Amino acid sequence: MKVIAILIIVLTGGLLIYGVEEMPDWGDPNSPASSHVSPKYIQEALEKTATPNMVTAVLGDYRGYDTMGETAVIFTAGIGCILMLRKKRKGEGD
Amino acid sequence: MLEYIISKYNFWVYIILLLIGLYAMLGKKNLVKKLIGMNIFQSAVILFYVSIGVKKGGATVPIFMGDAHAAHGHGQAIIDVASYINPLPHVLMLTAIVVSIATTGVALAVLILIFRRYKTLELDEIIKIRKDTGV
Amino acid sequence: MIWQLDIILCIFVVICAIAAITVKDLLAAVIILGAYSFFMCILWTEMGAVDVAFTEASVGAGVGTVLFIAAVNKTKRRSKD
Repeated sequence: MKVIAILIIVLTGGLLIYGVEEMPDWGDPNSPASSHVSPKYIQEALEKTATPNMVTAVLGDYRGYDTMGETAVIFTAGIGCILMLRKKRKGEGD
Repeated sequence: MLEYIISKYNFWVYIILLLIGLYAMLGKKNLVKKLIGMNIFQSAVILFYVSIGVKKGGATVPIFMGDAHAAHGHGQAIIDVASYINPLPHVLMLTAIVVSIATTGVALAVLILIFRRYKTLELDEIIKIRKDTGV
Repeated sequence: MIWQLDIILCIFVVICAIAAITVKDLLAAVIILGAYSFFMCILWTEMGAVDVAFTEASVGAGVGTVLFIAAVNKTKRRSKD
């Protein structure tokens, strides 16, 4: 089992190191992640939402439904934990 | 070669952490150890996303500096894109952290159920018990 | 961005990750995982992601460690590997 695990890790590590060659340098201001969509958010967030913090502006205003879905996920997880860990009453099946 | 390694060092750290987490998930036999590996794996991916949003050269945290109310009142604020870090990866990773803690909670509940039934947390012992009892 | 601090934090993070999966006592492993989360939090603050950092400090390192300790408390503390 350990041998297979180490084999898979070496394979995955090799693939990841091979893929790093295509990635932009650390802190590059012109990298694809910071040059397509995010300038629009940085420039318009204050004007459209009146929130100085851009992260919360995007989280609460632009992506409000996403955050609502996230609360649904946490609610489902809590309900699942309660249903799994509750004490069984007498007469109830396993 | 050394310059290449230094210019992309965030990727090396994230690859090392990801492989440590993957090894714990595949190679360790204890179920709690597998969960710890899953947590390390998740934060390695989050580190990758946060680190591709960094901008060098005087960029600061993505919070508007100066008088926000005055700038909003004038309607047109001049905001320099190069002076703020990319906020989008941070938003996505906030969601990812909270969802990861929810999955960890459900996994720990399942772990407690497994312990109640088999009285052990080692994977090989669980497989042996299941073979012996013919379940 | 202070690169000396960055390198020290990266080394600490990797050491904490290796220690968390090597220690045989599960309670110790969980506490080391909490320390790993806090080091990760400092690393993100240093990268400029303050919101991610304080969410990780409260949710990841706080609630996560409490959940793990509760689970280890209800099950066994010893591990074979």
